[in-house]
Order: sequence, then C-alpha cells, then structure tokens
Amino acid sequence: MSKHKLKKNHSTSEFSLSRHTLMWLLITNVAIITPLYQQITLWSLAICIICIIWRLGIYVGKVARPPRWLVTSLGIASAITLTMVVNQIGALIALINLLILGYALKYIEMRNRRDVHIVVLVGYFLIALTFIQQQALWSTLHLMLVTLINTCVLVSLYNDEDRFQFTAKLASKIILQSFPLAILLFLVIPRLPPLWMVPTQGGAKTGLSNTVSFANITELTRSAELAFRATFTDGHLPENRDLYWRAIVMEDYDGQQWSQSRSILASERSASLSQSSAQNLRLVDFKAGLASIKQPSLSYSIIAEPSSQQWLFGLDVATSVDRGIVMLADHRLYARQAIEQQKMYKLVSYPAQKMEPVLPAAIHAINLVLPKDSNPKTIALADQFKQKYPQDQERLDAMMRYFTEQPYYYTLRPPAVGREQIDDFLLNNKAGFCVHYASAFAFMARATGIPARIVSGYQGGEYNAAAGYYSIYQYMAHAWVEVWLPNKGWTRYDPTTMIAPDRIEQGFDAFFDPSESYLLDSPFGYLGHRTGELFNQLRLKFAGIDYLWSVWVLGFDSDKQQDVLQDMLGEVTQTRLALLILISLTVIGLAIAYSAGLFKLSRAKDKHVHAYLSVCHLLAKRALPRLPHEGPEHYNQRVALSFPTIALSFDKLTRYYVAIQYQPLSKAALKRISRLLINQSRWLRINIIKQRLALNKTNT
Amino acid sequence: MRFSRWLSRRIPAAYKVTLSHKSIFILPTGFGFSWLLLIVLLFIFGTNYQNNLVMGLSFLLVSVFNTCIIYSYRNLAGLTLSSTVSQSNTFAGQPCYIPILLSSVNNAFEIKLNFHGHGSEVVKKVTDDTSVSNLCVDRTQRGTLTPGRIKVESRFPLGLCRVWSHVDLDITQVIYPKPIKNQHQLSCHPQSSNNSSELGKFVAGVDEFKGLKQYVRGEPLKQIAWKQWAQGRGMLTKEFQQPQGAPLWLMLESDSRDLELNLSYLSWQAQQLSQKQQIFGLSIGTTIIEPALGEQHRVNVQTHLALYKCQDQANPNE
Repeated sequence: MSKHKLKKNHSTSEFSLSRHTLMWLLITNVAIITPLYQQITLWSLAICIICIIWRLGIYVGKVARPPRWLVTSLGIASAITLTMVVNQIGALIALINLLILGYALKYIEMRNRRDVHIVVLVGYFLIALTFIQQQALWSTLHLMLVTLINTCVLVSLYNDEDRFQFTAKLASKIILQSFPLAILLFLVIPRLPPLWMVPTQGGAKTGLSNTVSFANITELTRSAELAFRATFTDGHLPENRDLYWRAIVMEDYDGQQWSQSRSILASERSASLSQSSAQNLRLVDFKAGLASIKQPSLSYSIIAEPSSQQWLFGLDVATSVDRGIVMLADHRLYARQAIEQQKMYKLVSYPAQKMEPVLPAAIHAINLVLPKDSNPKTIALADQFKQKYPQDQERLDAMMRYFTEQPYYYTLRPPAVGREQIDDFLLNNKAGFCVHYASAFAFMARATGIPARIVSGYQGGEYNAAAGYYSIYQYMAHAWVEVWLPNKGWTRYDPTTMIAPDRIEQGFDAFFDPSESYLLDSPFGYLGHRTGELFNQLRLKFAGIDYLWSVWVLGFDSDKQQDVLQDMLGEVTQTRLALLILISLTVIGLAIAYSAGLFKLSRAKDKHVHAYLSVCHLLAKRALPRLPHEGPEHYNQRVALSFPTIALSFDKLTRYYVAIQYQPLSKAALKRISRLLINQSRWLRINIIKQRLALNKTNT
Repeated sequence: MRFSRWLSRRIPAAYKVTLSHKSIFILPTGFGFSWLLLIVLLFIFGTNYQNNLVMGLSFLLVSVFNTCIIYSYRNLAGLTLSSTVSQSNTFAGQPCYIPILLSSVNNAFEIKLNFHGHGSEVVKKVTDDTSVSNLCVDRTQRGTLTPGRIKVESRFPLGLCRVWSHVDLDITQVIYPKPIKNQHQLSCHPQSSNNSSELGKFVAGVDEFKGLKQYVRGEPLKQIAWKQWAQGRGMLTKEFQQPQGAPLWLMLESDSRDLELNLSYLSWQAQQLSQKQQIFGLSIGTTIIEPALGEQHRVNVQTHLALYKCQDQANPNE
C-alpha cells in the first residue's frame, strides 16, 4: 500500500510547482518588469511590488496563496481603471500596464504548469513591448538575458534536476543553438509594411521645438544626446560649413518668439492625416523635374533618433521616396507618424536647386510682417541700411558685416532683454547666441522689405572616420535665416558665422568654451572625454558599433535585405532562396542534433569495452570464444589454460578491464588505467595475429 | 483497430525495445500551439511597429521551437525499455506493479510511463545505468494479465512538444485469485483428520533432509556437512525434519457452483498453509499437484488456481 501512496504523490507533484520553478519565477518576474520602469504607472508598480512580496512570502512559506476571487476582482478593477485612464496615458502605455498587471496577478495565483505557461508567454510579450522603447545594443543584450531567464522557467518546469546551474546551462544552450536559425529567418523573411495603424507612445518630445525665442535653444545646446546620424553614400563628404540640416521653418514673429505660420502648420497636419498620395504625386513631379535638369546631387541616409516629433532633417532641397515621409512646400521633410523609434530614411539633396524661385504673393506678404510698433531702434537702423544700400544683395551683405564690425560676442548666457528684445540685443547688450543674431537679421531684412524667415535645425556634425558617418548631437541645434531674393529664391544667411567664424569652420567643439556650455549640466559630458585621446578613441569605437547596430539590425529594411541576399546569392530567385533556406535548415538542424548528443555513439564510454572485446573477438577466432554470461575472470582462467604464451598479458588486460568496469576510481587513476588497458589491448591483438600467421605458415 | 495493427507492425512486441525514429511520434502540445500563436502575434506586432527587434524575438522563438523538437526527439531516442521476470505476488483486485528496466544512451529526462488506461509513473532521469521503474496496472482480475503497450511520453525540455511511443514489452503476469478468509474444512486426503491446523506440519527429526544451517558449537559432529566443508564453504550443519501426520489437500470440485469464490477460498488457504509451513497438495479439476512445501510450491499452486478455467484477459484497450 505504501507504494500506492507514493504513486499518488507523484501524480500530484506533476501538477504542483517545485520550489526550483518558483525561484526562477521570482527572478524572471523582477527581470521582466524592471526594464519597463518608464512605462509603469505608479499604482500598477505598487500592485506589482505587492504581488512580488506576496509571492516571496509564499516561497518562504509565511503566507498562503490569495483566494481566487480576490485576484479576479483585483484584475477586473485594474482593467476598468486602465480603460478609464487610457486617454490620459495613451493606448500603448495602457496595454503595457494591463499586461504587467495581468502578469503580476496571474503570478501570485499560479498553481500549476498551465499557469506558468501563461506567465511565461506573457513574459515574452512584455519583453517585446520593452523592445519598442529600448533598442540600443546594450539594452538588447540585457533583454536577451531576460529572455534567457524567462526560458529558464520553462526548463525548470520540465526537469527535476534541482540545480540552478543545470537549468541555466540547458536554457542557454537551447537559446544559443537557436540563434543561427533566428538570424537566417531575420535575413530571409520579407519585411512587410505596417498592416494597420498602431497606437504610439506619446513620449516626451525631445529635440527642436516649433517656436524659437531668446530662451529655448539654450537647453538643447547643453544636451550631448544624439539627434541623428548621417551617412553619405556617394563617398563625397560635404564640408562641415555646408551641413545646414533644415528641420523647421518659422515665419511668424510676435515680438517675443518665432513660430510656424498657419499655412505651414496646416500642411503639416494634412501630411500626417492623409494617407492619400496627393503629396507624393507632387513630390514625384518635383523629382521628375529635378532629374531632367541634371543637377548636382548628394545621396545620403539618415538614422533619426526617437524624438516623438515628426520633423525630419535634410540638406537644402532634400527629397525622399520613403512612403512614410512627405515633402512639404517649404522643402522640408515631414514624417507621417511621430518618430518613436529609430527611423532610417534615404535622401537625395540638390544643393544648387533654387528654392521657390517664384514666391506666391500671400507667402511673400507673410514673410514681411513685423509686429506693430516694436523695436523702433532696430527699424531705424534698418532704414539707415536701406538708404545706404538700395540693392537687396548689397544691403544683406552690409547687415552681415555689421555683426563683424561691431563688438558682438557669442554667449549661451545672454544678458536679460526687455520688451523690445531685438533693440536691447542689437544696440545695448550685443551678446547672444544664434537665435539672437538670426532674429535680428531677419527683423532687419523684413524691415527693409526683403522677405525673411527663421530656419531651425542642426549645423555641422562629428565625423566618425572608422565607421564613416556623421553624428549630429542636440547641442548642434542652430537657427539661421533664409531670405527670398528674386531669381535666387530662398537663400541662406547665417549671421552667427559673422561673430565667430571658427564655429562653422571647425565644428562646435572648438568654439565652445567649456565653462559656458552644456558641461554645466553633465560633469562627465562629451567634451570631458575629448581631452583624453584614448577615451576619445574608445568613444568613437563604441559609437561606431552602435552605428553598425542601427544600420544592420534596427534599420534592416527590405532594401537592405535585397542587398544582402543579392550579395549572398548573386541573383535573388525563388529557387535560390528556397535552396539557401533548405541547405541552411539542414545544416543548422544537424548541428543542433549533433551538439545535443543525438549522433553520439557513446564511444568515449565504450572504448574500454571495445578494447577488451576486440581481443576476445580475436581469441574467439582461435576457437576460444567467451561464453555468453561468462565473467571476465572466468574467461581469463580458460585463456590462461589454452594460451599460456599470452596468459600473463591477458591477465593484465582482464584486471584493467575489471578495474575500469567495476571499481570506483579517481579521475587520475581512471585515465592511467584507461591508457594501460588500451595499450595492452593493442599489444595483445598484434601478438595474437602474429601467432596466427606463424601458425598458418607452419601449417602450410 | 487498424491503428493497433499498424502499431504492432511498426513497433513489434519484444522483451527489449530501444526507441528510435521508427518508434517515436512527435506533435506540438497545446502550449506549443500557444507558443506558435505568440510568434504570429509578435510578428504582426513587430511589423506594425516596424521594429526589427520584436521581429527578431519572434524569429528566435520560432527557432527555439525548432530546437526543442530536436531536443524532445533526442530525449526519447536511445531509450531502452525491457521487461524483467517479476517475482510479485499479485492477487486479483490489487494493483499490479510490473517492473520495467530503463536505460538510455543519452541522458533522458522526465519520462512518463504508463500502461494504457492506468496510472502513470514519472522517471526524472534515465542514464546509461539501468534503473527499474514499477508500472502500475490499477485493476486486475484472476488469470493472466497482459497489460499491453506501454505509453512512453516526454515533454522535455520546454513542454512545447510531446514525444511519445507505444512499446509492447510482451509482458504477461499471473494474477492469483483474491484470497478470501474462510473456515472451510480442509480435507486430509484420503481420509480426513480432525485437527487440520496441525496436519502437514513438520517437526525436527531425522527422516527428511531439510537444509543446511550455520554450525553452532556443541552440535553433534555427525551432522556436520563435511562435503561442503571440504569445498571450503565453512562449517555447516545438516538439518533434518519429519512430517507430522498426513499432508493436507486443497480440493475443488469441477462442478462447484461459485467457482470464483471457491478459488478465492483456496487461494487464502494456500497462503495460510505456506505461512505456517504446512505441507499441502492441490487437486483442482483434472490437475493434481503433489503435496510439497516451500515458496516454489506455493507459486505453483497459486498459478494453477489463477489459470483454472480462465480465458486470457486481454487489455480492454486493445
């Protein structure tokens, strides 16, 4: 009867969870939830922590499992709460929180294998959700580790080796062996366009703002964060001073700040709403026009960092055939959806192309508007310019020169300005940064009847020679002026260059006085590393790795896929692709099977048996077969009687064999005796064959 | 039962079976299908967000599934099952435990074994050292038990796939009649005696050789087994005994009405007599077993009781 009881225990333990599994569940729960810390609302975090502590209590054996009704009602309550706040926090965050809550609640009421299955599957989905937010190489490696831990839970469920190491080892083995096939699939599975519109996370907007005033660009200039990276595909590298990355055009000035005009805002809105190809059609026409002119062009690709904004960056007249990008009337690129994750797009710019050589009257008028009765001193100064230089071109040049001739200096901490901010800056303080100069210049240009607008974006770029790309950081944010001249269209003027030409010629870092820059905010900022050459080398190396990651993994789109397959197959045909997949599948399958030990003929273990039996086999041919069930010792006695010449050697062989097979041996002893046995076996076989040959000779 | 016929061709009965590709079946479990569903979800999710890492994760999960198929197969491949001679006394109505020898070239984990329709046994780890697992047949009837095919199943390593096989180890087991206590008069053949509990008993004596026992100092020298001593087996003493009274006979009339009940009575009595070291014989139908003593005799008697007028009971599932 005791056996019967044992039996029952077995069948229940099959469905209840071992402590080993519970421990892995504890680890995996923390590992999966922590990377999502930015998305978790405060109260779901609280519930998660309570669940984990409760589970810990269950694990230690201090508390009982919560009753099912409690868990269910908690789950329903949190789901209802989440649906109520979904508008506040956004659908994606709501989904993440819902999953996390479900995950945590399922986690405490877990009873059997099925529950664990659900927890593990939801765990994988949560990892995928984390990938939406975090895509850097390091966080990917971290999340791979989390994936591994999640897999460990399953492994622990299906083996009872209560050893941490065994489970971890087996799970890593399975994951690592699965990588080749995963990479193959990554290469060959076609990338589809989005199947439907998905909710995006309304993350904190970073980068440029659609208004520019005397205050707001300074925040950016203190940030060493990456804005985007650019790779020029022609091999032709433009000079730093030509790298004016346009992003936003501002035409309205209210005396305090510059902002986008209503018509531009409307066109941006329609671009993000319309999936229709109206905009694209215009773009196509435009492109066709450009192609026919055969302008010098510049091809490059940009990887924009997530900014939660829709503005994209381009040089001069930039065009893109990306379906997610719209080209606006003011020659800017605009994404249909906010950039929530790294976006790679290809561009062709035409630096010599005139921008809007024919300006509609309405826009001409907009770009001449000045706020009423503002900055009278500046208007007076502009009048002087107009009287002295009646020609537009000359007048603009003179205004530019004005900033050199007068003692203007550049500072990120300009003195305060009053209500007439341009007057204060231009005539009293004479100190400021790009926005001050651009505003003043645009104001004066408008005051003298030349249409002018402010363009903000980034200027310059840090070239990484090893990986061949430019990095554009937030502190390279810049504002400049575009004035409209008949026959020339919109023409770029950057008055800031007049104050400090070094800034444009050498890039930003040479210009910055460290005590005045963003270093104030980050003590170990980017410039600090600059000072050490080794640090700088390392930094560039890591940046290069990160760049390759962005290009080859994050930005691996159908174009890249085509290129890679073309390189591998020569020509991408259905049959070749099928062949590649078949061959790779077979090779990978065989490799996994081999490393899993499927083809192992257990030779290592049986080589001793083989060594002994091969001698017995030879003796059997000499009419002395080992009887079935005859022990080695007994056979040894018979061999000694029949073949006295080899009796001693065979006795040794038998002793080694018996020792290896039946005695507990230390590792060293086993190794030694194993060698002796194999040598003895070899010697015996040679001698037995020799004897037989000799015998045959005498017989003949 | 076309399936069982096909199965018996594919995996013929043998006392020893090593599982290989011919005998292993593999299919995804429910969890495996949920896993595949998750992969599809992740792929759509990754496509909609144009996120290569999410897609990469879904590819990795596909690949893990593939790896698991190989691992699951490997877990059963090379597993050797064999039946062994069972010494068990199983009476009808009791669960019968049948020992199965297990070994595996590769290490095998979490092997679930059971006869069709009976309780399962989970072996946590099988190595190349042979281990014994006792499989249970829950319901037994008098006669020969042929429990049929053993289902060998495993979900190792991740529970994504179920690998299984149906192995026929050609096992037969005799199930003795269920012993039922009774006060039936045992007949002392040819004439009855009045004190049945004393009949067929032995007392120490000189007539019959009983066996050898360790020599105790002071025992008569003539009882020492000199032959064994000469063989180097040590000092042993020969024991003798003599029967006390006539042997007992367990009898069953061939026309008895309640056969099963009577067999049960006889079974109980056979057990009792053996326990009390009484000599007894069996006369059942046309079969007569001469009175004797000892374990072998008891098994012989019980086997005859078990097989008397009994149709081979086949496994109901087959």
